[in-house]
Amino acid sequence: MGTATGIIKALNSGVKHLAVKRFTLRYPEQKLKFVGDGYQFDPTTGVGIAGLKGRHMLFHDHCTGCQLCSIACEGVAEAIAMVKVPDSWGQNKKAIMPQIDYGKCVFCGLCVDACPFYALYMSNDYELSSFTKEGLIYTPAQLQVKPQVQQDSELIIDKRGARHG
Amino acid sequence: MAEVIPTKEMPPGLQVENVDDRIMTLNVGPQHPGSGHMRIIVKIDGDYIVDADPDPGYVHRGEEKMAEARNYITNIPHLERPVIHDSCNILYPYVLGVEDLVGIEVPERAKYVRVIAAELNRCIYIQYWLAIYGIFLGHSTMFMWPAGDRELFIDLMEKISGARVTHAYFVPGGVRNDVPANFEDVCLRQVNYFEKRIKEYGDIFYDNPILKARTEDTGVLSREDAIRLGTTGSVLRASGVDYDVRVKEPYDVYDELDVHTNVLKAGDSYARSKVPWLDMLESCNIIRQALEKMPKSGSIRTKLKPNPKGGLDEVYRRVESGRGAAGCYIVSKEKPEPYRLKLSVGSFRNLIALPYLLKGEKLGNMPAVYWSLNYWPVEADR
Repeated sequence: MGTATGIIKALNSGVKHLAVKRFTLRYPEQKLKFVGDGYQFDPTTGVGIAGLKGRHMLFHDHCTGCQLCSIACEGVAEAIAMVKVPDSWGQNKKAIMPQIDYGKCVFCGLCVDACPFYALYMSNDYELSSFTKEGLIYTPAQLQVKPQVQQDSELIIDKRGARHG
Repeated sequence: MAEVIPTKEMPPGLQVENVDDRIMTLNVGPQHPGSGHMRIIVKIDGDYIVDADPDPGYVHRGEEKMAEARNYITNIPHLERPVIHDSCNILYPYVLGVEDLVGIEVPERAKYVRVIAAELNRCIYIQYWLAIYGIFLGHSTMFMWPAGDRELFIDLMEKISGARVTHAYFVPGGVRNDVPANFEDVCLRQVNYFEKRIKEYGDIFYDNPILKARTEDTGVLSREDAIRLGTTGSVLRASGVDYDVRVKEPYDVYDELDVHTNVLKAGDSYARSKVPWLDMLESCNIIRQALEKMPKSGSIRTKLKPNPKGGLDEVYRRVESGRGAAGCYIVSKEKPEPYRLKLSVGSFRNLIALPYLLKGEKLGNMPAVYWSLNYWPVEADR
């Protein structure tokens, strides 16, 4: 193949893309749709349920304060600290629950795998930025709140190429 | 090409040398010479490189030593940090090794899911590598296209594992969670579109006469030198050696799949940049085969004891990662933690070829040769 044909072929390949829709996701306006409600784990079968590994969800009525999540995190990020909670649930004799520092968390989800009481899951919330370091530390009361996430956009593949819509 | 590098008694930068007026020493890096925190000490005579000395180690994080203080499960998130774009493949040998030590069987479906995840990860890594190779050579379209198309597979990995990079998906005994519902259809659709897209790279990049003029006959590594220097992966295959761990020592279900090795004979930068691209097309084939043969239902993970212990044993397993053979050597002394853990990675083994290839090249060709070695600085430093 000659030099001229090669260059024309290369240009032609680029020109064809003028008609193709842009692939970029316009992030603050559009947000990706995820599978399920976040990563969960079923301790009876020992298998997780697929989902985004975002901010954690803590179920106060299940947590027994056994500290297994904190122990699992010790070798990874040391992000989980057990703190005193004022309201004493029946199953939680010590009245301690995990507090997670998202400045340290690497979102591996091993704490979710460690929880034998269905108390700690992960959610679809990934927008955790804060102006202060203290703002990244989520107390048990904050982890209890179910996140409101807007998910409208997903990957579409058709004759005009791939795009987010 | 020169035969041997002159031996040096002192580390680079410390030895006393005779200053020649014609020779200028140039430090390329360590502040990100294109990509990667590493330094190349280049000696140039006019525009020609007389001597080159790669100086890695700026991002050494002691992953191997860290692994000795953590148990077999909590090692998983940090052992994939060396290559976050190829995190499944760098974790693969470790997981296989721990399975041998602990002595557990992996369910059939989990093996197929692992192969699919590993091939998706290989494509994600090669796309990223290719994007940087494109921008190194001033081809900005070749930066935009792979960086965009990479999103297709990152989206798939996010659906499977829940994270865009650093998936922490493989565990000893299988994978952590099953693939979501109708994953097979979504995966097949995106793999087919991805294959169509990367075939277009041929027109704009690989058949482009400008790229050929830049990269053909630069940094030629002969077949004998490639074997003698111990290079691996795409560098070895571009020099005409038919070697792929997936074919020679099949792990998991690669022996049931039809894996074709791409071998080019030229051994120059062009061949080294083309082999990963052909590997991506091959990965698409492997994913399609694996999706077809995968058992539709079944167990995905063998349950492991909470704190698994290995016996008094040692094990070495290796896999084909995006950069070549990646191995993991684990010594166990009946403890929940490994006694020693050593990673053998493709990046570091390919870097040794750099001084041989750069000698006699023009300085302008340095990025084309350097990045064609499929080198990932963080992985080499570990």
